[in-house]
Amino acid sequence: MSELKIVGKSVPKVDAKIKVTGRAMYADDIHMPNALHGKIVRCMQYAHARVIKLDISRAQKMPGVVKILVPEDIEKYNTYNTGVMDLFAPDELNAVWGEIGEEPIFTKHVKHQGDALCGIIAKTEAEAEAAAEMVDVEYEPLPVYLTTEEASHPDAVQFTPEKPGNVAYRVPGGLFPEGFYGYGDIDKGFAESDLIYEEDYYVPKQKHCQMEPHSYIAQFDDQDRLNVWTSSQMPKPVQTKLHKLFGLPMSRIKVNQTVIGGGFGTRLGLIGEPYVCAMALAVPGRAIKLNYTREEDWVASETRHSGRFKLKMGFKKDGTPVVYDGYMSFEKGGYYTHGGVVWVSGILARGAYKFENFRFDGDAIFTNKVPCGAFRGYGNPQQALCMEQLIQRMCTDTGIDTIEWHKKWHREAGGDPWGFGVPTMNCGADEVLDRGVESFGWHEKKEINANQSGPKRRGTGMMLGVHCSAGFPVLLEHTVATVTLNEDATAIINCSISDLGCGNHTAITQIAAEALGFSMDDVFLNWGDSDANAFDIGAHASRTIWTAGRAVKEACEDAMKQVYAKAAKFLKVDPAELVMEDKKIFTKEAPDQIVDLKELLWKGIYAFMSPEDFQFKFDRGQIIGKASFMPFANNPGWYACFVEVEVDTETGELKVLECTYVNDIGQAINPAAVEGQLEGGIQQGLGFSLTEEMYYDENGLILNNSFTDYKMFGPTDMPKCDIQLVTTEEQYGPYGARGVGEAGLCAPGPAVGNAIFDAIGIQFNEAPFTPEKILKAIKGKGLFPDKRA
Amino acid sequence: MKTRDITLHINEEKYNLTVDANQTLLQVLRSIGSTGTKYGCGTGECGACTVLVNGKTSILACLTLAALADGMHITTIMGLEKDGELHPVQQAFIDRHAIQCGFCTPGMVMKTISILEENPNPTEDQIRHELEGNMCRCTGYEKIVDAVQHARDMMKGETR
Amino acid sequence: MSTRVLPDFEILVPQSKEEALKLLSQYQGDAAILAGGTDLLVQMKGQLKCNCKGENAFGYLLSLAEVPGLDYVEYDETEGLRIGAMATLSQVAAHPVVKENYPGLLESVGVCGTKQTRNMGTVVGNLLNASPCADCGCAILAWGGTLTLEGTAGRREVDVDDFYLGYRLTARKTDELAVELKLPPKSDGTVSAHHKMTRVEHDLSKITVSVRLEMSGTTCKSARIAMASVAPTIVRLKETEKLLAGVEITDQILESVAKSASSEVTPIDDVRSTAEYRRDVAGVMVKRIIQKVCKS
Repeated sequence: MSELKIVGKSVPKVDAKIKVTGRAMYADDIHMPNALHGKIVRCMQYAHARVIKLDISRAQKMPGVVKILVPEDIEKYNTYNTGVMDLFAPDELNAVWGEIGEEPIFTKHVKHQGDALCGIIAKTEAEAEAAAEMVDVEYEPLPVYLTTEEASHPDAVQFTPEKPGNVAYRVPGGLFPEGFYGYGDIDKGFAESDLIYEEDYYVPKQKHCQMEPHSYIAQFDDQDRLNVWTSSQMPKPVQTKLHKLFGLPMSRIKVNQTVIGGGFGTRLGLIGEPYVCAMALAVPGRAIKLNYTREEDWVASETRHSGRFKLKMGFKKDGTPVVYDGYMSFEKGGYYTHGGVVWVSGILARGAYKFENFRFDGDAIFTNKVPCGAFRGYGNPQQALCMEQLIQRMCTDTGIDTIEWHKKWHREAGGDPWGFGVPTMNCGADEVLDRGVESFGWHEKKEINANQSGPKRRGTGMMLGVHCSAGFPVLLEHTVATVTLNEDATAIINCSISDLGCGNHTAITQIAAEALGFSMDDVFLNWGDSDANAFDIGAHASRTIWTAGRAVKEACEDAMKQVYAKAAKFLKVDPAELVMEDKKIFTKEAPDQIVDLKELLWKGIYAFMSPEDFQFKFDRGQIIGKASFMPFANNPGWYACFVEVEVDTETGELKVLECTYVNDIGQAINPAAVEGQLEGGIQQGLGFSLTEEMYYDENGLILNNSFTDYKMFGPTDMPKCDIQLVTTEEQYGPYGARGVGEAGLCAPGPAVGNAIFDAIGIQFNEAPFTPEKILKAIKGKGLFPDKRA
Repeated sequence: MKTRDITLHINEEKYNLTVDANQTLLQVLRSIGSTGTKYGCGTGECGACTVLVNGKTSILACLTLAALADGMHITTIMGLEKDGELHPVQQAFIDRHAIQCGFCTPGMVMKTISILEENPNPTEDQIRHELEGNMCRCTGYEKIVDAVQHARDMMKGETR
Repeated sequence: MSTRVLPDFEILVPQSKEEALKLLSQYQGDAAILAGGTDLLVQMKGQLKCNCKGENAFGYLLSLAEVPGLDYVEYDETEGLRIGAMATLSQVAAHPVVKENYPGLLESVGVCGTKQTRNMGTVVGNLLNASPCADCGCAILAWGGTLTLEGTAGRREVDVDDFYLGYRLTARKTDELAVELKLPPKSDGTVSAHHKMTRVEHDLSKITVSVRLEMSGTTCKSARIAMASVAPTIVRLKETEKLLAGVEITDQILESVAKSASSEVTPIDDVRSTAEYRRDVAGVMVKRIIQKVCKS
């Protein structure tokens, strides 16, 4: 490969200026003339109830009210689920796990606090809110199920007849020859193990807390087109889901993706789009704006899957990993949303280490909490938090060096299929571990912390992990990109790529500029326009660079192939001999025989015959490059995380002092952007293990639905982050890049858990690890209880 | 009174407005097109609505009643660029990759200006403490803290 | 559910203290007093029902914003520190005498809210809000002082010790305005400090301690200890204070002080912490803060 000119440089983000000047248009910043305002009336006092009576008579008389939509008004539409598994997994597979779409736009069976009952359309936001308060509802309260055990009781109220026993999802073990997801003989494995470790873990219900609350605009226009403005991270699947929900042809649905104020998975699939579109369809011609409150974000948009994980592992005395057996039972929340998170937990667990026997099973059970959906990491943070702590327990007990264990037993490149069932082409785990040990000062810190006294104790911990670069082959992977070469030798890329803030639009522009041999300024990416943009999945599964990056690269290469074909014909040379420098095309043999790219493109469009010979100088026609790219590989990135914590043994308070994070990203397209998204992931991963959890009272009402009581790490809480990018060879990703979007979040949790274990000799099986839990454990067991015994 | 006639000076432009008693400064700013100032939580926790009074004191527009802002001189994110030139703090945020989704950025930039107005030479620890109250979920604050230090140095005439 | 738009109300913007008092006597409990607004407006967005008056509904908001002469922070050696009703937390923090003589108060102001809310919110408002987890309220209770309440009937002074009657309940009558807080000057041996324990740096208090000790060498002549988030109001630990009166501060004394503090508090479980944890760490916090002030 020739030397890279733009890829690999930390160029400023293409959207930095519109964002730093406040001129970026998020959905709520768009003001449509004469717009009406929507407000969703939600059940706030019950987590499980039937609506006996919905009386809108008082609300209808309120000033400014235009229309109120009740469940009967939306019966003509289909029901749906918010997720995208119906599109991304084959029908046969969806049939196995029973993919359903049971959610109505407005419900008469309240399944969680915040469930939607009816919708107000009014002239102003204040009038809509005032009218919403005047809707009178009579309920029949139903028993509230907050745990999977309660909800799966035989006498429990059924959430939907389609899912007997309230089992929303079950890992499709029957698909596999062994009868379970995994391989080997589990019983034999345990019989052959010298050491058996098991633990029953709880993983918390974490909220995305993207800074932009959900906002939408929709308008059913006079050409019978449903236009919706949304900050969805999956605009094209949203278009398809709206088509299925409302029965409108896709040619009559336009999704305008606005600038996205953070996503992290919460904007994967549908959130408020069904409501705002139903409202728009009810008042044709008028634009409707629907703004969520911050509280609605907590009560009515999805969270990370929480639940219990029973994990049992067997090892030989020398640490050889013999058998892994896990059962994860997630709380699904009130609706099905999407199925696969629990299975993906197992896929990523399987991907990490060479256990001789492996079984992963699990389910997701309906509960009366806010539905769980996608959140950065998609099952990986949950399983890693448990597995890495149990491995550390074995290493500490046996005295096996934890770094050496990880080095010895991680999966490798080659024929060894990882969790997704495809072989990986490379593995940088050893380099990642070496770099981390050195940069963090692992051995030095161990030495310094060896003999501590006093109330404050320091400890260090690490983890190794692996995360996919895309959804292939379990999930659909597909991006279509076109590149239009303008007559002035600039380019417009059309691709529905989502940028949640991580810099995808910048990185894609870098890739395009590199592939075309243009400067960044000569390339513009047109996104968020479902009419102009062909299919793309959207941002999830760390996939954008892997798939969309290659789609754009191939579209650019297709365009350049057409350029070279035209130039070759003119120069009467083999196109393979042509090169381009500064938009001048020539062969190395005859560098003075030059075709000017701008002339070639200009005359392709403004093509006139020469009056001398009645010939055209170049072949006529505008060049448009295209790629409809579906990858056939999925090379994961390996990452390691090292943290040092200080535990106050008298108060249980914990401070994270340092965090070193290493990732074998391959070639970073924009290193500063990669660092930034990893640092952000670390903030979320620390929160996942230490402070973040949605709490419910016994009636299923959320206790901390505001930033006042849902606590995330702030600037003072954050440790100094040391991000190390290891550049290893990558044969498949565009310019050697692998996915990195989610890995940052998956890493800190287990490393923190292991650092606490190192500091005080106690492990915790319920996250987040709060001072309350830590102090209680110290008081109950004392420091290093196992060593004393 | 249910409404009040007020005069607001927003980014050095004078506005004579009739506002409702229950309207916040944030609602008024956004209704007259100053949409760079964001609603993130409405309850004073996230800082996305931060604006400056008299060019230096940071306040929350979501918890300020417009009716009581009569005569105030307000600077918003949209008033920082002068003659096509970005404010050094804005430039620092771009240069140091401190912007991801960008939703917190307007509040962060305004807050940074108020921090540096009060103390032109803050330490990293002081910056971190002062930035509390402006939430960011994308960056882990690392590159924001770096940008504030870069802005501090640029504004003192030093660059690192 | 919370709202994006504040519920309907009328705003009263008196231009003098006299006018404010007159309006207050006219509307009494139907008017909420608005100073910085950082607590009140949040409560209104979160709790009030639109147009139909719920428990916390107010028809009127009486703003002190345009009443002249309430935003002072003044000090003299006999009366001590005088803080006007509209003096912001930032103003108080910036006052040189506060930095010099009232370290406990200074620390409490520094951890109360964020830079923006400190620029908006008032110290007197923090007292009046009567939250059991109040930051400067706790430091003020530890220091001791008086609050001046003024109504159309006249002026009276209430000791901060007598100000809190119960959960969110104060001695202020509905027609009275709290116009000034007075904090007496320090003596030669006065030391004070404040420590707020939180879940993350910027947070409401999980449990807070403030102390003021009168020291003579290593002997404590008298002590005032206040805690927040351990009872329905911010409280003084009077039994624990007694253990410190007239004794030399030793490790042994501190152990009994810690034990006493843990048994004197009456915390509850809530979303921020547990009663058990608060009781456990109350003693540690009291012990540590005394160690800290004695060192300085």
